[in-house]
Amino acid sequence: MDWRKVWVIACHEYLVNVKRAGFIIMTAIVPVLGILALVFAAFFSGEARKLGASIEKMLDPSAGLLGVVDRSGYFSQILPEYRDRFRPYQDEAEAEQAVMAEEVAMALIIGDDYLETGRVVVISKSSGFGSAAVSDSQSVRKFFVDHLLAGRVEPALQKRAADPLKVQSRVLSSTGQRQGEGPWSFVFTFIVPYFMAIFLVMTIFVSSGYLLQSVTEEKESRVIEILVSSVRPIELMAGKIAGLGGLGLTQVLIWILSVAGFSGGAVAFLAIAGASLIPAHVLILGVVYYVLGFILYATLMAGVGVLGATAQESQQLAGIFSLFAALPYMVGSFIFANPNITIARVLSFFPLTAPTMMMMRLPLAEVPWIDVAGSIVILLLSIPAALWAGARLFRVGVLIYGKRPTLKEIWLILRRGS
Amino acid sequence: MVINVRNLTKRYGDIVAVDNLSFTVERGELFGLLGPNGAGKTTTIRIGMDILHPDAGEITILGQSPARAKRFAGYLPEERGLYRNLKVLDTLIYLAELKGTPAALARERARYLLERVQLEEWADRKVKELSQGMQQRLQFVASLVHDPEVLFLDEPFKGLDPLNVERIKSLIAEIHQQGKTIVLSSHQMNLVEALCDRILLINRGRAVLYGPLAEIKRAYAPNTVRVRASSIPPALPGVADVECEDGAFNLHLAEGTNPQAVLKALVELGVEVQAFEVAPVPLEDIFVAAVSREEV
Repeated sequence: MDWRKVWVIACHEYLVNVKRAGFIIMTAIVPVLGILALVFAAFFSGEARKLGASIEKMLDPSAGLLGVVDRSGYFSQILPEYRDRFRPYQDEAEAEQAVMAEEVAMALIIGDDYLETGRVVVISKSSGFGSAAVSDSQSVRKFFVDHLLAGRVEPALQKRAADPLKVQSRVLSSTGQRQGEGPWSFVFTFIVPYFMAIFLVMTIFVSSGYLLQSVTEEKESRVIEILVSSVRPIELMAGKIAGLGGLGLTQVLIWILSVAGFSGGAVAFLAIAGASLIPAHVLILGVVYYVLGFILYATLMAGVGVLGATAQESQQLAGIFSLFAALPYMVGSFIFANPNITIARVLSFFPLTAPTMMMMRLPLAEVPWIDVAGSIVILLLSIPAALWAGARLFRVGVLIYGKRPTLKEIWLILRRGS
Repeated sequence: MVINVRNLTKRYGDIVAVDNLSFTVERGELFGLLGPNGAGKTTTIRIGMDILHPDAGEITILGQSPARAKRFAGYLPEERGLYRNLKVLDTLIYLAELKGTPAALARERARYLLERVQLEEWADRKVKELSQGMQQRLQFVASLVHDPEVLFLDEPFKGLDPLNVERIKSLIAEIHQQGKTIVLSSHQMNLVEALCDRILLINRGRAVLYGPLAEIKRAYAPNTVRVRASSIPPALPGVADVECEDGAFNLHLAEGTNPQAVLKALVELGVEVQAFEVAPVPLEDIFVAAVSREEV
């Protein structure tokens, strides 16, 4: 392999395609949509707030002013912090009248047996939906707890009784090591693996699209024959994979950076902070799977894609591999529930699904070392085989004009190399 | 010798495209590779350029395998095309770099060659802006830009108008004069006849005629002399038949008759001979005759 020629081809492919109108438009779409969303949000933010408030009111009647008729004696003196939300009434008739006149959204009738039964009658207009809303409302529950305990227990105990638990998760590995705490555990058990695997699949899709377009154009313009008279097909293929892989990576990075920019850097911060919480070996293995996966897919797509007579045919042929790359997502819900489930382990040993599958599994749980070693060995063995097959198909494919070879012909090409 | 082809065989499934073909091309030679469509010319050249691999036999160029020698070889394929959206100069530099020429040297040589084919003003324009004739010339330049020692030209005159045929012809002659070795594949016999020193005629992948053009023409010369004279006496010894054509006489000689003996007889009989020549045989006739004989 002449690496200088590979470099010349890679630079040529990158520089020619980065200036294409199609690339610039596709790359600009995400930032442009982001700008539009920002402008839209800034312009309509006032209206949106009003709309949000009315929707909230519509969905949660308990969020409005509530009337209280107390016969238990615990709620006769409404605490100062609740007086703008809860209004006392002498009897049910007065409360009903206030509800009918829409002075209050609902009225709570607290019976004299409240302490024993907890029974509260909710009076609302037209719909019984309000009673359910009151039952689930945190602010109403807090009103009851605060009035029951005020002056009877320590303020700290009263506060805790009103809001008894704030959940934080802690994920342990099989050896008992902490993998993350607090909200970050969600980041690295769900967002990061999902994000990394999506990144791989996106790069594969984007780069292979450019690769197929480049090869098809060279075939259609017949310039490919001059190219293969100057370089070996494997050099041409390697140069294209490197150059157009870089192009796809550029596009995906611009998309991510633009999303990070428009989210006020939140996504970037999340990614950096999330990455710092991921164990080093997971990050290193993630990069290893990413590189191996990209080489494997790009090689196979280049080899098979070049057999198509038209760009559309090439896309169809290469699409088979995109399907494999996306397969782990189809079983994603099982993987997130149990990253070491049998199907996940099986797919980790299949070369076409191993990269995405392992990138999803690794941050989620302690993956058995045999799965890691096995999948890497399988990928390392598959790549030379893919390069061999891809180069053979590519060598013959570049000279096939006007017709797509049959499966039998593809088999003969692989066997004889011609 | 620069090119040595030995027992070359290439099959596509059941079809034998090149069948045990052998020939050599000497340094500085302009060698004609002739044959009807599908004879195996392009396959032979593609093997020479390492685009295809032979099933048997081998080609060496400058003593090396095609894979090693391809940087010293230029190639003008029959199926032509260039990057339509790339600038003329950038295209040439890229193709030269792929042959191992440094970019600066490639730029210099590309500018020189563009000037030679009157395309220097188009250097910074896109290929698609060039006319068909200009693109053909550019394609020719692309095969030369890395200064190859050996040049394979596969049907270089295909699709060209007469003006561009003359331009390309004079370019080939110029490169030949510079001492480059050229293999020219064509089925346009008059052009091959005008340019080539030696030829190989192939049909169905096999060699039919091979050698210096002059010798082949001599071997295929019909036993006919062309005489320009006021009249031809009847019953001339050794002459089987006489026919008049364009104010001259074609004398078909009996087998074993020497043209010199006929000239001597004419002079002795007092015929005023204005012109006397052994009738030339067009390469096209040799081609048809040889291929027909092969088909039979």
